[in-house]
Amino acid sequence: MSTGNEAQSSRRKALKQIGAAVAGAVAAPYVITSRAASAEPLYVNTWGGVWEEAAAANLFAPFTKETGIEIKTVSPVSFAKLAAQARTGVYEFDVTTLGGGDIVRANDAGLIEKADDSVIDRSKLAPDMVFQNGVASHAFSTIIAWRKDRYPNGGPQSWADFWDLKRFPGSRCLQSYAARVLPLALLADGVPKDKLYPIDVNRAFSALERIKPAIRVWWTQGQQSQQLLRDGEVDAIGIWHSRTIELIKQNAAVDFTWNQGEIDRAYWVVSKGSPRAKQAWRFIQSAVSPERLARFCLQANYGPLNPKSLQYVPQSEMRFMPTAPANYKVQFEQDVVKAEPQLAEFTKRFEQWIAR
Amino acid sequence: MIAHAAKAHRERPWLLLLPVVAFLGVFFLVPLGQVVASSVTEPELTLAHYREFFSDGFYLLVLGRTFATALLVTLACLVLGYPLAYAAVRREGTIALVMLTLITLSLWTNFLVRTYAWMVILGNRGPVSAAFRALGVVPPPEILFTRVASTLGMVHILLPFMVMALYAVMRRIDPAYLRAAQGLGAPPRAAFRHVFLPLSAPGIVNGCTIVFILCLGFYVTPVLLGSPREQMLAGLIGRQIEELLDFGQASAMAVVLLAATLGLFWIYNRFVGIDKLWG
Amino acid sequence: MTRFSDWFAWLVLLFLAAPLAIVVPMSFSNAPSFQFPPPAWGVQYYRAFFADPRWLQPTVNSFIIGAATAVVTMALGIPAAFAIVRHRFAGRGWVNLLLLLPLTAPHIVLALGYYTYFGRLRLTQTYLGVVLAHTCLCVPIVYLTLSAALKGFDRNVERAAMNLGANPWRVFRHVTFPMLRPAFLVAALFAFIQSFDETVVALFISGRDASTLPRKIFDSLRTQADPVVAVVSTLLLGIVLAGTIASRLAARRRRVETPA
Repeated sequence: MSTGNEAQSSRRKALKQIGAAVAGAVAAPYVITSRAASAEPLYVNTWGGVWEEAAAANLFAPFTKETGIEIKTVSPVSFAKLAAQARTGVYEFDVTTLGGGDIVRANDAGLIEKADDSVIDRSKLAPDMVFQNGVASHAFSTIIAWRKDRYPNGGPQSWADFWDLKRFPGSRCLQSYAARVLPLALLADGVPKDKLYPIDVNRAFSALERIKPAIRVWWTQGQQSQQLLRDGEVDAIGIWHSRTIELIKQNAAVDFTWNQGEIDRAYWVVSKGSPRAKQAWRFIQSAVSPERLARFCLQANYGPLNPKSLQYVPQSEMRFMPTAPANYKVQFEQDVVKAEPQLAEFTKRFEQWIAR
Repeated sequence: MIAHAAKAHRERPWLLLLPVVAFLGVFFLVPLGQVVASSVTEPELTLAHYREFFSDGFYLLVLGRTFATALLVTLACLVLGYPLAYAAVRREGTIALVMLTLITLSLWTNFLVRTYAWMVILGNRGPVSAAFRALGVVPPPEILFTRVASTLGMVHILLPFMVMALYAVMRRIDPAYLRAAQGLGAPPRAAFRHVFLPLSAPGIVNGCTIVFILCLGFYVTPVLLGSPREQMLAGLIGRQIEELLDFGQASAMAVVLLAATLGLFWIYNRFVGIDKLWG
Repeated sequence: MTRFSDWFAWLVLLFLAAPLAIVVPMSFSNAPSFQFPPPAWGVQYYRAFFADPRWLQPTVNSFIIGAATAVVTMALGIPAAFAIVRHRFAGRGWVNLLLLLPLTAPHIVLALGYYTYFGRLRLTQTYLGVVLAHTCLCVPIVYLTLSAALKGFDRNVERAAMNLGANPWRVFRHVTFPMLRPAFLVAALFAFIQSFDETVVALFISGRDASTLPRKIFDSLRTQADPVVAVVSTLLLGIVLAGTIASRLAARRRRVETPA
């Protein structure tokens, strides 16, 4: 019965193959996870658009090449998500950037990790770069921008002008961010630059009431503000200088003024309790290294806050940066330390006020 | 043997039902119950959220606005949808096919795609603004991010539901009734008013119920097309979850919305019977 | 009056269909804005969509989650529909109500519930969490479709098979199931579509790697910044159009083949 023997041996061969496949399938997850554990990606919150492109090219790619850690981006940026993550322990992102107002709030509420000195090399950073458990990256300004086709004779040159709906009729847009908007309202109401802090909250809100009917949208995402201005959905807007400069470089019919611009700083922070905190701090150290930061700032039109980065910035590009002396002297800086005790309270009041 | 099998079946339904009942119990009733529980236990045992909801003018305004908008959208859908359903029923052949295809297409297309279309149409660079500019109205009125835009979007999205509900009932109206009425001497308009219209009433009730209830809980379109200042209830709940992180208040509002919705379904069930809602 | 109402009906139809038509030319725009008519034409955004994992990953996720949801919902719904339609028992009305309940709760309320409940169970941002939530939402429609089919089913065929000696399982496998297969397919398709399209719950509980396509579209519309959304919309519209035409033609053929 030769056919019987053949059948038997082919069946045995088949069984061996099946056995190997099953063993492989059972073992595979262990193999995959052990390889994955060492190459677990880092999740970074991004603002999209040019910010993300510049970050991907100048901050993420070199870091991945150096360490093998992949970076995955998550958007949109949301302070509330940062708070929710710390509460639930489910992380959408490990690293994000916060402005001055938000970092103080986040630190006070215990939403961000303490600066991990075992990973961060402070000797490589300027002394004031580590602030409230975040690392300063770049400076940006909230400036007044407008549509040239709506205001052909020039747009609002100050926040008082921005508030002046008779001389500059039309729609307005401001960021849904209390710590940035309240000082602007005070400036519009006539408070001098050096007397803004501590903030007279009631006066700020009554000034805001006057502009509220003209505000079509309270923007929350950088790209959104840019889109609103580009499409002309709003006539004048308080927007980041970098987004406006990008529009101008694309020949959009917009213009802006540095006057009374509000300088803020972006800080890299790590979400509290993130299981990838160590890798996160490694990334942050890399992201503020002089050359990488300079390249990022040049592409995205920001002002680097690492003094060593300035050597990589050509003189001709300085005019786009809020920290250039000519621009700096007509603007003002947020004093988040002075505003700290009031932050949580007026932010909550602002959130409720916006919805009404 | 058949009797034995039948008796076995009579005892067995529980086994067949157990998976779905257990599943819905754990993964549906529990989260729903948690929302109700949170409304009185977050951050501690309290009725403050409800008290605030029913005494604060702002929340009552939002509630009123939500009901008023739902009513407006329902009426608009009825006025627009009835003639369309009527025409689709009366026509035959290719024309009916085209009509039904377009209605079904609209019904099956994702909310988001239709909302996006309206963002383009009503935007500053869209056809509506261009038309205003062509008529000399410069600057063109701002329609996007207003209540008008959000209402228009909702009418567009909910209209197919109304049309299908009406169509399902109208289709079953025997044309013999109309012929009989006309045979008895009634002019076409009277035949329509006294015979067809009353017979189509169940469709009207169905359509209005579905559209009204969907509109009450509508989140996506009002958030994307409407003004944040004129939010409806679902948008406000979403904002509480996303930004204010006030889960107690969000839960209380959610319970109010749920109660309103279930209340309407209960009323419908009382007078018509819930199984008839889906034809 | 009928002439007027006919004209009006066509206008309403135009109102329904025209906005959908706008989506297609927008996808061929070359401009980064929401301008219509587009200032320039091109396929750059099609290329962008097919090359961008930030759009492709959610698309794949939605297919996976939709398929899984359909499978689980059918597994739960088929026995339930049989039990309720074919048996009389105490509490039948209540079970019927329970199976329809997910249809009545507004999605934002459920989203809130799932957000906190699944958050605690670490099920947010996972495929499993979304599938579980979507299954609950799809049970009613599967149940309604299946029970409608079962109610119209002639049991005499089954009885004939049993008389010829088949046991209940063989009857189901060789008689009931093949006859109900179209209804089963339709129910599974409805479940898939409802899960694929579901936006609000997915917005709050999917995320990161398990993000769904509707969630990605919503986020992108909120910032109004990503013209790729026009491409996605056109593709979705195309699929629905193909499906609608196919179903209408099939319905017509069925009506021709089986004259009532």
